[in-house]
Amino acid sequence: MKLAMENVGKCYRGRVWALRQFSLELKPGVLGLLGPNGAGKTTLMSILATITRATEGRVLWDGVDLAAQPNALRRVLGYLPQDFGLYPNLNAQEFLEYLAAVKGLEAKVAQRRIDQLLDLVNLQDVRKRPLGGFSGGMKQRVGIAQALLNDPELLIVDEPTAGLDPEERVRFRNLLTELSGERIVILSTHIVSDVEATATDIALIAGGHLVAHAAPEDLLRRVEGKVWEWVVPSADLHGVKEAYRVSSTARRSDGVHVRVLTEEPPPGAQPVMATLEDAYLDALSAHRAGAMAVPA
Amino acid sequence: MRQARILWHLVKADFLTRVRRTSFLLTMGFTLYVGYETFAGHIVLRLGDYRGVYNSAWVGALMGIVTSSLLSLAGFYIVKGSILRDEQTRVGQILAATPMSKSFYTVAKWMGNFVVLASMVGVMAVAAVCMQLLRGEERTLHWGALVGPLAFLALPAMAFVAALAVLWETVPVLRGGVGNVVYFFAWSSLLSLGIGAVMAHAGPVQTRAYFQDFTGMPTLMNQMRSALVRVDPGFQNEFSLTIASGVPLKRFVWNGMVWSGAQVAARLAWVGYGLLAVLLAKVFFHRFDPARMGARAWMRGGWRRRAETSLERAEVIELKAARGLAQQSREGWRGMLTPVPRGEEKTRFFALVAAELRLMLQGQKWWWYAGAAGLFVGCLAAPLNTGRTGVLVAAWLWPLLLWAPMGNREARWSTESLVYASPHALGRQLPAAWLAGVVVAMATGGGLAIRLGIAGDGHGLIGWAVGACFIPSLALACGVWSGGSKLFEALYTVWWYAGALHHAAGLDYTGVVASSARPGVYAGLTLMLLGAAWMGRRAKLAYA
Repeated sequence: MKLAMENVGKCYRGRVWALRQFSLELKPGVLGLLGPNGAGKTTLMSILATITRATEGRVLWDGVDLAAQPNALRRVLGYLPQDFGLYPNLNAQEFLEYLAAVKGLEAKVAQRRIDQLLDLVNLQDVRKRPLGGFSGGMKQRVGIAQALLNDPELLIVDEPTAGLDPEERVRFRNLLTELSGERIVILSTHIVSDVEATATDIALIAGGHLVAHAAPEDLLRRVEGKVWEWVVPSADLHGVKEAYRVSSTARRSDGVHVRVLTEEPPPGAQPVMATLEDAYLDALSAHRAGAMAVPA
Repeated sequence: MRQARILWHLVKADFLTRVRRTSFLLTMGFTLYVGYETFAGHIVLRLGDYRGVYNSAWVGALMGIVTSSLLSLAGFYIVKGSILRDEQTRVGQILAATPMSKSFYTVAKWMGNFVVLASMVGVMAVAAVCMQLLRGEERTLHWGALVGPLAFLALPAMAFVAALAVLWETVPVLRGGVGNVVYFFAWSSLLSLGIGAVMAHAGPVQTRAYFQDFTGMPTLMNQMRSALVRVDPGFQNEFSLTIASGVPLKRFVWNGMVWSGAQVAARLAWVGYGLLAVLLAKVFFHRFDPARMGARAWMRGGWRRRAETSLERAEVIELKAARGLAQQSREGWRGMLTPVPRGEEKTRFFALVAAELRLMLQGQKWWWYAGAAGLFVGCLAAPLNTGRTGVLVAAWLWPLLLWAPMGNREARWSTESLVYASPHALGRQLPAAWLAGVVVAMATGGGLAIRLGIAGDGHGLIGWAVGACFIPSLALACGVWSGGSKLFEALYTVWWYAGALHHAAGLDYTGVVASSARPGVYAGLTLMLLGAAWMGRRAKLAYA
């Protein structure tokens, strides 16, 4: 099971390149795809999900070119897009039955999986309610269930936890972790903690380019000794922001706790353990400064 | 002043939103085509054996009549949908949170609709100038006579149509496909009312008759008749707006409308009727309140007594689900899911047809099934001729709203990314959807097929089968290319009215009435429509 992207590029109307020279090879595990808005994540997902065609380069699924045989991938693909709709007159059970038929699943297997998936996403009690009355989070869970219908070998999920409450989010993260053993999961999100909890690999993408592809530990290692924290009076916060790359701030009774990314320790600052968010910000700012030295 | 500025920006945003859509270009293309057909002499206004000399008055009148009659029908379907768009884009919710009043919003929508229709009238005015100059029968331009009919006939009619589109969008039962069908009959009734009031009698027209003339067309024709009677006293009141037959027509000179105060007032009255319709729309307008959006909420909860809102329903469901979550064990999910066997791929096409059929029928009430069953039995039990000309005609109108979402359901409900990422999305799903539509046509009109079989009418049976295939093909092609259901709803209603109900030459797709059946033509058309649907869907997919 291998997914390879070779110099993939996508150009939209007006010669706007959303993705350029993107190469990556994936094996079973969870790939966390991180990047700012407009980085090209959704475009990449759409190409991998066979929704849109790459302008240049090629995508290979187990050595088979997607352009030549898209159905080879579609048969084993589970896709949860960022924006999707549901048929409001159908209930969850009927909607999943419909998509199972569209995906070509055998009826008995489909019935069993639908039953289990509705349990999995915690919609068993409301399976007969029309989808039109579902909340955003519940619709998202129906989306997750449909992505898993055909027991996908490649699962692509774009912002899957959007609209889920904290408990559901934790459940979904756990599910992804458990599913990842025998399949490739690509998880695109803005929520770094989702990636932190599940990803075995991380790809940072910015401006349509792959900025970094590494294990979370490797990314963290790159910012080790560069993260500092200290307390400043509120009045000084503006000056600190001007002088340093601030990762986070928190107002407490003793002042503002400031966390910065810098090679040289600010006066009075203590070194702290780096998080993935620090590593993400560091890699992005280095990329923006045009001094990215992280090998992709 | 501030209100005027807000109104200006609302209308401007509405107009820009529309003109930047491909559908607007198509609409303008259609308008230009109608203008060209008229200009090229393919559409002729005949008064018996006469036509007018192409001077400013005649050209203006011809363009006015064509615009007023055709655009009052097509224009409705073109502009209807602006409130729905605000609803779907959620812009409506933002507007609802501003101090803007309901009447202000509905008036702004009316004006937005009117500006779009007026721009089409403008295109026809340009076509009128070109037509007169290029035809060259009379080159002197009399601007009043040339543009007058468009301004006095078409624009008030457009103002009224623009208002009806707003009203239709706010009245819950008229918002969807039912409303689109109802409008056709409302339009034809209004047209007949005007013609009946102004032209039924040869004597002087009563003033109040002008106030019943929606398009202004009969008002204009009445003056043409008076002018022609002076030239040919034997003229028999025969008017027709027809496709040119090539038969040479005698010419007479018509110098244009002489507008009386009552006629001008009557035309302006239609703008007033439009305003009344908009004010009525304000009463029905839901102001993007989820509790009142949609016919179902209306029917169930009533307009004033708000019952359970969709948001409240969602909260109730969410609470129940959360309760279920609390009771659920926290064991892991590994091994819980049944594996899906991989192996030789089976197409399972008929399972997909059944799924498409279920999707199509989902949400239908018992009375719909009762009606369909009644029509099936009616086809079976009625005398064969009644079945051919009556019951089948009704049976093939009954499922109109089932066919209308074909080919556009995915776009409407944003499920494209789910459906199009499935294996063989083009080769399986599209034919399955089509076949489901054919099954519906065959089921509702199936009684007649049995009768034709018993009677041994092979030709009738073939015609019937072609008709049953033609309807869903038309729906699929319209749905795929327009991305919505309105085009099919409007086109099929008109086609049904002219072809199935009145057996107009070449338009009878039912194929069971020997004198008007053209099964060969419709078989070819069916194939072409299927090809068009296939190509349209193919263009939307990255891979076939």
